[in-house]
Amino acid sequence: MISKRVKSNLKQTFSESLLPKIGLVLLLSILFMAMFAPVLATHDPTRTGHYTEEGAEYPPLGHEYTTQVAADGEIGEVTVQGSSEHVLGTNNVGQDVYSRFLYGARVSLLVGLLGTSMAVAIGVPVGLVAGYYGGRIDDGLMRIADVMLAFPALVLALALIGVFGESPFYVPDPIVRAGLAEGMPESIPIPGTVTIVVGLVTWVWFARVARGEALSIRNEEYVKAARSFGASNRTILLKHVLPNSLTPIIVLATIQVAVIILLEASLAYLGFSGTTLSWGYEIERGQDVLRTRPWVSMLPGIGIVLAVISVNLLGDWLRDALDPNIEGEGR
Amino acid sequence: MKRKRDYQALDSLDTVYGYYIQMTLGKFLVRRILQGVFVIWGVITIMFGLRAVSPGDPANLMLAEGATQALVEQVREEEGLNEPIYVQYFDYLQGMVVGDFGYSWQSNREVEAMVIERIPATIELAVAATIVAIVIAIPLGVISATRRNQPSDYGATLFSLLGISTPNFWLGLMLILILGVWAGLFPTGRRPVGFGPAVLTLAQTGSPSDIFTWLKYIALPAITLGTYFTALITRLTRSGMVDELGKPYVTASQAKGLPAVLVRYKHVLRNTMIPILTVLGLQIGTLMGGAVITETVFNWPGLGLRLIDALDARDWPLMQGIVVFIAIAFVSINIVVDALYAYLNPQVSDE
Repeated sequence: MISKRVKSNLKQTFSESLLPKIGLVLLLSILFMAMFAPVLATHDPTRTGHYTEEGAEYPPLGHEYTTQVAADGEIGEVTVQGSSEHVLGTNNVGQDVYSRFLYGARVSLLVGLLGTSMAVAIGVPVGLVAGYYGGRIDDGLMRIADVMLAFPALVLALALIGVFGESPFYVPDPIVRAGLAEGMPESIPIPGTVTIVVGLVTWVWFARVARGEALSIRNEEYVKAARSFGASNRTILLKHVLPNSLTPIIVLATIQVAVIILLEASLAYLGFSGTTLSWGYEIERGQDVLRTRPWVSMLPGIGIVLAVISVNLLGDWLRDALDPNIEGEGR
Repeated sequence: MKRKRDYQALDSLDTVYGYYIQMTLGKFLVRRILQGVFVIWGVITIMFGLRAVSPGDPANLMLAEGATQALVEQVREEEGLNEPIYVQYFDYLQGMVVGDFGYSWQSNREVEAMVIERIPATIELAVAATIVAIVIAIPLGVISATRRNQPSDYGATLFSLLGISTPNFWLGLMLILILGVWAGLFPTGRRPVGFGPAVLTLAQTGSPSDIFTWLKYIALPAITLGTYFTALITRLTRSGMVDELGKPYVTASQAKGLPAVLVRYKHVLRNTMIPILTVLGLQIGTLMGGAVITETVFNWPGLGLRLIDALDARDWPLMQGIVVFIAIAFVSINIVVDALYAYLNPQVSDE
C-alpha cells in the first residue's frame, strides 16, 4: 500500500522544502490549542458580561479606544484601556475573545475531520463501484454525481440545514472531566447537522477520484490474474482496487479538510451552525461592531486562515510527494 | 446503447468525458444537453423532496400569525397542499417546465420576477470577479513558472496559498475595515446604482459619473469574490506551465530559434489553458456559493442575498426558484465549456 519508494519520496520532499515543516508545526500547534483549550483558556468562553467598570468591552491589551456609554441616564464618552485580565479583549456580549479563540479551534478541526470522513465514507465506495463495474451502474451513479455537482455545496448545505435544523450535540469534555481545568464548560457542542451536511455535499469529489482510479486499475494485469483465479468482484475491489487507489484519495482528503473547515466557517457566519463556539459565528457577531471594535472579528479570521493554511501546506506536500493525478479541488 | 470505450488511453481529465471519444461534436453536444436536462430535473426533484420533508405547514408561513383555522384550511386548499404528494410533484414539475415557479410565500410576488430582477447584480459581480482573477492570475502564474524558485515565484506561491486559505467573508470584512473605513478609499454601504442604469445615464446625458460610482462600489466585492479564483488560477497556470515547459516541443522550438516570449505565450500558455478551462467550469458552483457569501457581506442586491433572505423566511418557492436557476446556469456554462474544450482539443470529438 505504502511502498518504500513512496516513503522515501515523502521524506525527501519534506526535508527539501520549508513549507511542509511550517504546515506541520502550525497544525500541531492548533491541535494542541484545541485539545487543551480548557487548560489554556483564561475564562469560560460562554460566560458573558465581562465589561469594564464603565460598562464597555475591553480592547486587546496595550490598546485603547473611545466609546460612548450610558451612565446615570446620560451618555458620556470614555476612553477604555486594555486589561491583562482579557489579553485579546472581550466581544460585544462581554465574552473573553482569547478563550473563545481557543475553543473555536475545536469546532473547526472536529467538523473538518468528521465531515471529511463522512465524505470519504460515501464517496469512495460509490466511485469504486461505478468505476469497477462500469456500464449502467457507472452511468447511473455518475449522473447522480452530476446532479450533486450542479448544486453549489454551500447552497445545498444551507437547504439541508434549513430542513433538518441545526441539532447540535454535546460531547463531554475529556480535559475538564479529568479535572485538569476548573470553571470551564463540562461539554463541547458539536454542530450535528453541519458535520453530516458538509460530508453530504462534498462526497462527489471523492467519488470522481475513486472512479477514475478504479477505471484504470480494473484493467491491470494483477486484477486480470486475480479474476482468472476465480476471485470474486468483492474480493478484487477490497483487496486490489481499494488499496491501490488510496494515494489520490489521501491527498484529496487532506485538501478537503481545508475545504470543509472553510465551509463550516461560512455556514456559521451565515448563522446556520448550531454552536456559538465557532470562529465563523464569532466573525459574524463582530461584523456589527466592525468599525468600533474590530478585534472581535479579526482574531477568529486569523484562526481560520492559519488552520486552513496548515492543512493546505500538508496537502501540497503529499500531492508533490505522491504525485497523483487529481482533477481540481472542490469547495 | 453500445459504445466503444477505451479508458486506459485517457488521462484523468479525459476520463470524465471518456464516453465521447468517438463522437462528433454535434452528437457530443446533444448528449451533453440531454444530460444537462436530467441534471436540472434532478435538482428540481431534490428541492421538491426537501420541501416535502421540511417541518412546518406552508400555509402557516404564508399567513400572518394568528390566522384562523378556516383561513389556513382555505389556503391549503387553494395552494393544492391537500392533494396527494405525487399530484403536487407533477403540478410543480409542470410549472417549472413552462417557467412558472409559483409565488413567494412571503411577499406573494411571482418568483420569476424576483429571481430575474436580481440576476444582473450577481452577473456583474461574477464577471468582475472573474476579470480580477484572470487579469492577475495568468501573468502571475506565467512569471511564477518561468522564474521557478526565485523570489517572485515564492511571492506568487505565498499569495496563492493565502488566497485559497482565506474565508471570503472575513476577507470582505477586512477589506471594508482597512480600505473602506480606515483608508477611506472605497464606499462601504449598499450601492446606489447598478451597471444597467449607469450605462443608461451615460448614453442619455453623456455623464460617466454613475459608471465611476458603480466601479467604486463593485471594487471590494469583486476582489473578495475573485481572490480564491485568482489563487486557484495562479496555481493551475503555474503547475500547468511547468509541465508544459518541460515538453520536447518547447526545446525544439527554442532550438529552432523562436523567441522565448512567443513560445511561452503562444504555444505553452495556450496548451496550459485547456485543462484550466475545464477545472474552472466545474468551479462555477463555487463561484455561486462565494457570491452568496460576498453578497451577504456587502449587502449586494444579487441572487445570493435573496437566497439567504428566502432561507431565513423559509420561503420555499423563492428558494427553489433561485436554486434551480443556479443549476440551469451551472449546467449551461459547463456545456459551453465542454464545447470549447472539444473544440480546442480535437481528440475529444474526432471520429
